[in-house]
Amino acid sequence: MSETPRRRAAQALMRHAARIMPRGDWGKAMQNELQAIDDDHVALRWAFGCVIAGYGERMNVMLQTWYARSALACLIVLLALREFFAPLLIFAYRTQHLGLAHFLGLRTAGDDYRRLIPVMDATPAWLPLLWVAAGVFFLMALWRMLRRVDGAVALFFLAFALDLAGAVMAKSIESSTGVIVTPNLMVRAGGEILMLSAGLVLWRMTQKGTAAAS
Amino acid sequence: MGRKTIRSKQTDRLLAMMLKEPLTWHHGYALMKLTGLQSGTLYPVLLRLSDQGLLETLWREADKPGKPPRHVYRLTSAGLAFAREQVAPARRKPHETSAAKA
Repeated sequence: MSETPRRRAAQALMRHAARIMPRGDWGKAMQNELQAIDDDHVALRWAFGCVIAGYGERMNVMLQTWYARSALACLIVLLALREFFAPLLIFAYRTQHLGLAHFLGLRTAGDDYRRLIPVMDATPAWLPLLWVAAGVFFLMALWRMLRRVDGAVALFFLAFALDLAGAVMAKSIESSTGVIVTPNLMVRAGGEILMLSAGLVLWRMTQKGTAAAS
Repeated sequence: MGRKTIRSKQTDRLLAMMLKEPLTWHHGYALMKLTGLQSGTLYPVLLRLSDQGLLETLWREADKPGKPPRHVYRLTSAGLAFAREQVAPARRKPHETSAAKA
């Protein structure tokens, strides 16, 4: 009896699922199970689900490697530094450390801190503190991640929430002063997307092995 | 990270089903039909339970000739205790609780 296209597709998907599944016996188990399913439509859905399960397991294994953890740690450090940047620039400007302000200004859009003076003048004192708090929470999340202690994800997303609140406030200051700190929307959105992605990876990393029981 | 208990509805559904027939070995496909979980959800849950020593696995010859052996699953004694602890209280109805108190 010839096989239907659905059955062939299911078998091809299942071969792929078995190949990517990091644990060979489970890959074989899924593959053998397919042959016990008579309905081609169900078999195709089964195989598709197995591919998802295979990639999920592969990702779990990758996330537990030292290089994945190191990459995420570096990213969280960068996110923390990003939170400290604006408070440091405002501090340097307000305390007349203009050399430092100039140095930091070179790393802003327009390469000159003086463009941002109206924004810095209009920034309330609590806003830099909010950003500093976000940066500290990022570093606390990193510490907990590296020590494998609970609470890293909560701290990370608390920092993320503070960052978003700060961004909303900064946006209103930009509107009132007419100075756009980061004109490139892609750069702005990219930072937030990167932050959210790092949070999701951290969450996924902490889920490994905890889905059912201690 | 600490290995704290993070339950999911899918895990509970699987445990509840396996608790009904604690001595029976189940195939993956049978578990899918009995729980309504898709394979993409079912296998990760089975893997976790197996890793944590709550599920035992076995290769068993297929019923039909010419078919490959199939992986079968059932709860270990630790898995049964865990399932009773996690799933049974949620399934207990209020009148059962008051009857037990009486």
